[in-house]
Amino acid sequence: MTLLTATFYYMAAASVASALLAVTRKNPVHSMLWVLALFLHVAGIFLMLGAEFLAAVQVIVYAGAILIFYLFVVMLLDLPDEEARPRFGNHWPLAAAVGLCFATLAWLARVGTGVAPAATRMALEGPPQGSLSAVGMALFGPFALPFEIVSLVLLAAIIGAVVLAGRRAAGS
Amino acid sequence: MIVPVGAVLGLSAVLFGIGVFGFLARRNIILMLISIEVMLNAVNLSLAGFSRHFEDLRGQVLALFVIAVAAAEVGVGLGLVIALNRNKPGAGAADLTKLKW
Repeated sequence: MTLLTATFYYMAAASVASALLAVTRKNPVHSMLWVLALFLHVAGIFLMLGAEFLAAVQVIVYAGAILIFYLFVVMLLDLPDEEARPRFGNHWPLAAAVGLCFATLAWLARVGTGVAPAATRMALEGPPQGSLSAVGMALFGPFALPFEIVSLVLLAAIIGAVVLAGRRAAGS
Repeated sequence: MIVPVGAVLGLSAVLFGIGVFGFLARRNIILMLISIEVMLNAVNLSLAGFSRHFEDLRGQVLALFVIAVAAAEVGVGLGLVIALNRNKPGAGAADLTKLKW
């Protein structure tokens, strides 16, 4: 096992651990800080997968913008800690068994077909495939129309957020 | 190959499961939205893994679009949370039964 593979497994274990902590902490701010750790580790995995631009976007947009937005809203609303209440109904063992069955099914399907065929032609030539220029050429070449549509989606979301959050109570 | 694609897909599945668990177990709307972010990250991870595996850039471009849509979702979702909190301070997901028939 090379050092890089070991690094990947560290990143994977750390992201699973921080995701688990993020969905189980009682304090919302602690939960968000663990999500931040998750985002950074996922960005590291993106780097190892050769997706440099995705890693940068992950850090800038997810960790930098989205999470700060969440933290701001938590600060404004002054969320209390979650109180411990029974989280699931009485039938949760049944549901867990069904979920386990589906997981086993997915595992069996994976063993049956496998995703191996392209693994042999991994020898990359020229600039690495995930390099910034290649992604940029793809975004402004064949994906130009979806790219523009995404900007429209973001504009609609901005307007929606302003309309939803900026509405004053009736009469004032 | 440095990173085995099967490991990436397995990690993605585990993270998605954790996100689903968080979404179902949380009572707080903001923490439910955070769980959705965990799920979206898992999907992006598998997209990047497939993109690497098949040497196809479309996976990465799709992951970028997913990130953009996630940003839009956060904007609208948190706007909804703020509007909700203005009308019903301290409301959790269990209190929102107005549309229930």
